[in-house]
Amino acid sequence: MKDSVRKYYLASITDKFVRGQMGRRDFLRAAGKLGLGAGALGMGFGNRPFSMFSNALAAEELTPNPEILAWLKDVGKPFAGTTLKLATESTPPSNAINGQLKKYFEEATGIKVEIEVLPLEQVLQKLTLDVASNLGTYDLYYIDQSWAASFSQDVFDPREQYSAKADLAMPNYNLDDFLPALVDGIAKYQDRWVGVPYDIPIFIMIYRKDIYEKLKLKVPETLEELYTNSKIITDEMGPNVYGTSGQMKSGHYSLECDWTAWLWGHGGSVFGPDGKFTGNDEKGIAALEYWTKLKATMPPGVDGWTWDGQGQSVAQGVAASMLSWGEFFPYFDDPTQTKVSGLCEVAVPPRASSLRTVKETGYGEIPGVGHQGGSSLAVSKYSKNPDAAWIFMQWATCADTQALITTLGGGTGPTRASVYDDPRVLANARVGAGTTRHLPIVRETIAKHMGSEPDLPEWAQLSSDTIPVSLGKYFAGSYGSPKEALDDIAAQVGEVLKG
Amino acid sequence: MHQSKSMRTFRTIAGWLVVAVFFFPIFFWTSVAFRNAKDIFSWPPKFFAFEPTTRNFEQVFGISLGFGFGTQETVNPGGGNFYMAPRLWDSIVVASMSTVLAIVVATLAAYCLSRMQFRGRHEFVNWVLSTRMMPPVAVAIPMFFIFKQFNLLDTYLGMILVHGLMNLPLAVLLLKSFFDDIPAEIDESALLDGASRWTIFRRIVLPMAKGGIAASAVLCFIFSWTEFLFALTLTQTGIKTVPVVSSTFVTSIGTAWGNMAALGAAAIVPAFIVILLVQRHLVRGLTMGSLKQ
Repeated sequence: MKDSVRKYYLASITDKFVRGQMGRRDFLRAAGKLGLGAGALGMGFGNRPFSMFSNALAAEELTPNPEILAWLKDVGKPFAGTTLKLATESTPPSNAINGQLKKYFEEATGIKVEIEVLPLEQVLQKLTLDVASNLGTYDLYYIDQSWAASFSQDVFDPREQYSAKADLAMPNYNLDDFLPALVDGIAKYQDRWVGVPYDIPIFIMIYRKDIYEKLKLKVPETLEELYTNSKIITDEMGPNVYGTSGQMKSGHYSLECDWTAWLWGHGGSVFGPDGKFTGNDEKGIAALEYWTKLKATMPPGVDGWTWDGQGQSVAQGVAASMLSWGEFFPYFDDPTQTKVSGLCEVAVPPRASSLRTVKETGYGEIPGVGHQGGSSLAVSKYSKNPDAAWIFMQWATCADTQALITTLGGGTGPTRASVYDDPRVLANARVGAGTTRHLPIVRETIAKHMGSEPDLPEWAQLSSDTIPVSLGKYFAGSYGSPKEALDDIAAQVGEVLKG
Repeated sequence: MHQSKSMRTFRTIAGWLVVAVFFFPIFFWTSVAFRNAKDIFSWPPKFFAFEPTTRNFEQVFGISLGFGFGTQETVNPGGGNFYMAPRLWDSIVVASMSTVLAIVVATLAAYCLSRMQFRGRHEFVNWVLSTRMMPPVAVAIPMFFIFKQFNLLDTYLGMILVHGLMNLPLAVLLLKSFFDDIPAEIDESALLDGASRWTIFRRIVLPMAKGGIAASAVLCFIFSWTEFLFALTLTQTGIKTVPVVSSTFVTSIGTAWGNMAALGAAAIVPAFIVILLVQRHLVRGLTMGSLKQ
């Protein structure tokens, strides 16, 4: 039996067992045929109180590569006793490392890793304080793509670290394995790498296959089709089910994320090549007009939701589709948490009506309907233990660890090309919690449809305050027209850029 | 006073309504802690007709009903890391010790301000009050640098000091008003009988002000228990209080409302116990001053 087939079969029987669809005796018999024998006795028992597939598989399959552990043991010896600190958003990779994987690193190297998990805005606050004080409170920085410009001079370029410290370089780390689009969109500012791509939430099309089939709709390939489908669903099934959903909370970064997707999708951009705001040109106005009519097909209250509310609206069956973060999909497939397990499917984002090139935009903005919200991981220049931090960073972002993160961390999208083809990742491509069955679409979206926000030091303020506050006011009816709202945003952005 | 039956019924109904208004958020929050995500957001809302689960508590406190106690590594499948039991302990230590610190210092200071005559006494009281007028965020960042310099960052001592100092002005002013309500003639009589200031304070004034001290202590405890800004800025991974870790349930793929509710529901318990312990004195303390001589 092929290894991948064996793993798939193991996944399948474990899944049935933990859901109670298979008796313990049958499970052990089937596991025995796979050569697991007595090892399977531990599955679903002992100190694993929660019945989730990924954890059951972890007992037998999901442990780090012994060669990497041997390298860690060797290279980490001089740094034993060191403590490393990282402040990060609560993302699947950080949670998987913190909760389940860092113990392997700590055991092998003797280096202690303390990971502080915080909401995104609090991470920014902590990093800003650390950089302003040069105190080196944190050894590693979790850098959201919208902060890359702000922190570009405060971290080491990993390419330089890799070549300058040959004795600390992980064999086969392979910087070229990181998806080039992500390096450009997340980890690069001008000529520097601001860390390496660490995670990649990206907008994909998630829709209810059962509803689409019932109403004989086809998966939207254009933005206009998305609107038409959404309107038909809302007209036919509202107010119980609405066509689509949004993350449109006034003043929140999520609102800006939605805006850029529609803006780019209509051929617009935030900035022009001269660095001036162009979101208020005719393309920008068309985008806002489109968004306004699309909002009418969304559930009431959508303008109070961030991605949390948007995700819940699909999870609870209130909305039939969303163009949003692919990271939600494995959660939707969890039958214990949502009402739509197995009912959702994924597709690449609807095609843009026209798309500007990077040269036609400013500050490295990359137009694309698949808005990405990735982050990078980097070693702080102020760290007191930069070498130990560099070892950790290589381990945390190497292909083997990413494969473990993807399977243990609930189907999050990898940032390395090779991980998408890893048998451990492929084995999880089935309906159920932590599925990876959406990852081929994520990969295609990254390659062909990805949109990245501009890189400029003021972007954190513009994207989290100036733009979403005014857009929120527009949807609350404070402006007379889309043009008036966008012209006001243009004036405010101009003021911010002037300093 | 005689009341008609209808008036008594009306008062009873009104009383229960007021209780319901205050109790409902606690009831709903606690019930969320026992729900799966799909039951939290069900529409129309389910108040009782849901399948109860202890999963949220199991994840937050590492307690599995079927499998005993877990650890941080073993209770978090799927990457979630919501094991918060040690953080509840952190909050208890910080809130209790900072309350003790604030009350000890404030009692002595308030007694002096109430009884001793010295130059600038009124200005001193105003100055104490003025420290509460400054927005905490203005102090938080300088505090971060000072704490880093003195290795107080991310330590119990640091958090106890900062919460103790934060509550001090309030406790001083409250206790001063309680001491002011105790007739100064009692002190004077004791002085004539040969008692020292310390003896008067310890043997006479303190027992009489027990209610006021209890009320001040409860307020200090609750302020420390719910304080967010300093706790966020001055801690990292070593210690964390409940309000700060509550925000970590907000993740990149949504908010873990069930887990957040489980921690929130559990966090009510210690504060409730403190109030119960001092309840007898608290009622006296809160009504003290309402009957002046």
